[in-house]
Amino acid sequence: MPTVRIRDASEYPEATQKLFELAKSWFNYDFKQPPAMSRVMAWDPEFGAPHGRAMKRAAAAGEFTRAEKEMIAAAVSGINACEY
Amino acid sequence: MKAHSAAGKLQGINKDGPWYEAAYVVGITNALNVVADSLAIAGAPLIAPVEEGNADSRIDALYSEIRCFYDRPDVPAVFRILAQDAGYLADFWAAVRRAFTDNQLSRRFKEALAFAASLTTRSGFGTSFHLAEMRRLGVGESGIQEVLGVTQMFSSYTKIADMLQLEPDMGDIAPVDSSPAPGGSSKA
Repeated sequence: MPTVRIRDASEYPEATQKLFELAKSWFNYDFKQPPAMSRVMAWDPEFGAPHGRAMKRAAAAGEFTRAEKEMIAAAVSGINACEY
Repeated sequence: MKAHSAAGKLQGINKDGPWYEAAYVVGITNALNVVADSLAIAGAPLIAPVEEGNADSRIDALYSEIRCFYDRPDVPAVFRILAQDAGYLADFWAAVRRAFTDNQLSRRFKEALAFAASLTTRSGFGTSFHLAEMRRLGVGESGIQEVLGVTQMFSSYTKIADMLQLEPDMGDIAPVDSSPAPGGSSKA
């Protein structure tokens, strides 16, 4: 189990909760609760926000599609033996 | 890993075929890299490579195929080292060629995947080899930066997830491909 308590979305400030809505459009999925990683990155917006922007800039469609980039991310995660 | 597999499926790669292909590319890329980085050291290979123009016509035929596939005048040292056993090289090369040939995933994208896999495993051989292949197959500098960025950022996310021991929470949101194995039939 996680080594920290992953807070429920409702425990975050209202402004952050609005940002969680973006996760739905990013993943094209109507989450009941934002993914744990979204909530982890929201803990410190001064880290999570630029990190998230860099990720979205790299992962947005360009010469490769968004889906292809998710596949690359899955490969990177698999090689790093990250189950999440 | 489960999060991005799910995300990729939600973004449109929702059949299993491309994911099998991607796994084959990552696996065989790592197989090439472990030998190339460890044994095929430029200028001082630890196992003598079989030079081109040797007496074994099977090896010459394989070398010809390899040069043609990569459109280059030489055969990378890693293959020449494996040629110490012509039968082994023949099968290994057939797997490499099959994995990287255009199929449900394009060869261009497979090279990007191999580049990302090589970066992640810090393979000097794989990084330079697949970077050159990406460029040869028409990927521009912006495309290279895209793959670099995705590889770097998700090398960050994975370690954050591992440090906090996050449990997968997106694995079940992806559509499931219920089609049978190639050539097979659906479950009754």
